[in-house]
Amino acid sequence: MPFQGLFKWLMGFFRGRKAFSLGIYGNVNTGKSTLANRVSMDWTGEAMSKVSEIPHETREVIKKERVSIKVDGKELTINLLDMPGIATKVDYHEFVDYGMSKGDAQQRAKEATKGIIEAIKWLEHVDIALVVMDACLDPYTQVNITILGNLEARNIPVIIVANKIDKKSAKPERIRAAFPQHSVVEISALKGDNVNKLYEEIVKRAR
Amino acid sequence: MAIQFEFISSDTVMGKSSEEKINIIMKSVRKDKILVLEEPLTPAEEKLLIMKTMTAITRDFPGIEVCSLGNTVDDLKSRVIKFLGGKTSGLTVVGPSNLVHQVKRDPNKLRFVAGK
Repeated sequence: MPFQGLFKWLMGFFRGRKAFSLGIYGNVNTGKSTLANRVSMDWTGEAMSKVSEIPHETREVIKKERVSIKVDGKELTINLLDMPGIATKVDYHEFVDYGMSKGDAQQRAKEATKGIIEAIKWLEHVDIALVVMDACLDPYTQVNITILGNLEARNIPVIIVANKIDKKSAKPERIRAAFPQHSVVEISALKGDNVNKLYEEIVKRAR
Repeated sequence: MAIQFEFISSDTVMGKSSEEKINIIMKSVRKDKILVLEEPLTPAEEKLLIMKTMTAITRDFPGIEVCSLGNTVDDLKSRVIKFLGGKTSGLTVVGPSNLVHQVKRDPNKLRFVAGK
């Protein structure tokens, strides 16, 4: 819809200050919820998502509305959306390997598939997207390419977050080399390293 | 155990909607075949493929491994090329994840590790 952007802006204008929808996307276990918690803690003092080493801990979109970010005197209001990790497969056996009962694992798998569909449906409704990648792993995955391709097709501003740079095996330069058309911010969501740079980039992109 | 590959030319899917194309892919994959399609998927088709896969997941079908290589942008240029009967270069390889264990790719080549 050609007037979608104008319509959204007008709606925001008449409701008060516009809040940007900031979607946190990525493969499973890249640290999306850790990042969502970091942003939420930094600006509201509260965590927003549960974090676990078991894949697909986030199985529905978790929202934190009207979070105000202030950088260099500029203020930005965002609706923070922690998305379920996107995958092309969900095997309940993987959860059993983490010690879950077969029944619980199957239920988790069922919820995870619904979460992935929900996250994908949201792709066209965010104003800015953070695409989180694990800097220790090969970034050139189909999931990353699909997420970026769909965001690019809709001209949605993208910031790639090279996460887990606190780990020795991190090679964020691989991410830069794989996606040279996008800005990449290297951070550790867990330790908080470099997150200020990410906030600067978010504020810059939302203007 | 033998692994079946199925090759589909771009002519076979020419003129088909994204939905029809994805249904063809899913049909082969659900029959435990590795499908090689002679064209890349667009980002919207990749998205649709993941969504269809999620609705198809069962205890026996845990999902897919997929790799689409080539010009996947559904822009005016590629639409005109397709409209005029031409082909956009690239390919897509899809297989069930209980058969395809690893997909490794770089911009110009891909490696599939498969086995039962």
